[in-house]
Amino acid sequence: MPHCAERALPPHEDWMILHDLEPWHFAIAGAGIALITLTLQAVGNRALGVSTGLEEFCSLVSKAPYFGRAELRSHWRLVMFAGLICGGLLSSVTSGAWSLSWNAGMLDTRLHLDHGSKIAWFFVGGLLTGVGTRMAGGCTSGHGIYGMARFQPGSFASVLAFMASGILTANLLWRVIAP
Amino acid sequence: MALVFVLSVAFGFLLSRSGAADFDVIQQMFLFESPHMYGLLAVGVGLTAPGLWLLGRYGRTLTGQPIQLSAKPLHGGSLPGGLLFGVGWAMTGMCPGPILVTLGEGKAFALAALAGAIAGTWLFGANYVRIQRVLKLPNLTTGTGAG
Repeated sequence: MPHCAERALPPHEDWMILHDLEPWHFAIAGAGIALITLTLQAVGNRALGVSTGLEEFCSLVSKAPYFGRAELRSHWRLVMFAGLICGGLLSSVTSGAWSLSWNAGMLDTRLHLDHGSKIAWFFVGGLLTGVGTRMAGGCTSGHGIYGMARFQPGSFASVLAFMASGILTANLLWRVIAP
Repeated sequence: MALVFVLSVAFGFLLSRSGAADFDVIQQMFLFESPHMYGLLAVGVGLTAPGLWLLGRYGRTLTGQPIQLSAKPLHGGSLPGGLLFGVGWAMTGMCPGPILVTLGEGKAFALAALAGAIAGTWLFGANYVRIQRVLKLPNLTTGTGAG
């Protein structure tokens, strides 16, 4: 990585981000996220937030009263889901070639999980993400970006909680269990 | 809806290229091995904050409607939900947006995370009334909040 010294990221033995592509500078990426959030609010009059889209998805198949809420009726977040998938696809295609991959970086080099265990690992992590983000009423986008930018108490509490448990989990995983 | 789609493609592209959808970058954030993600969040929040304030104060949409800003009040689910999500984020290296972005990039394990996230959301929603009593969540028609 020739330019890593100038960036905030230390050199890394194995960038898996799209064929060893170096990440954008954090200030450019942060400004881009702000621009997208503000445009969505100014033109679309919608508040950025991804995890409620999971409820919109559930509202398509579940009759549970919780998924019948008015908030979920327009399904605009499912359009966002499609856009996010396309954005990842576009990034991958324009970085070289899109290819199906099982490479999960550090998880592979440190934990050596077989295919079945890896699927279970990601499913359980996803399960906690689903329950947790919906219980907290938001994720990194809705609380981390939008809610914190509006100084919302629920967002500060959630961000504090998920950063603390994430830091604890990662330290336990990579410094105690699989150093 | 076209606007939502175009902005989301840009958002997905940005999450992919900024490293926010990369397993190792997320672990480096949680391990304090790199300030990259903290810088990204700080710049993102720092620029969004005055922008949203100005929009709320003076802004109108193209059709002249007042801008509707979303509120995130504190409730019984804010802390326990955040704690559960943090474990999930560290395990998968993906928060909800990046699960979809990573899927688009062709990393097949994201499909397992997406299935888990949908299952978790269903589990939460289907048992809302029971969980609501224990955690003192907002009433069912309000929900825990959009985000």
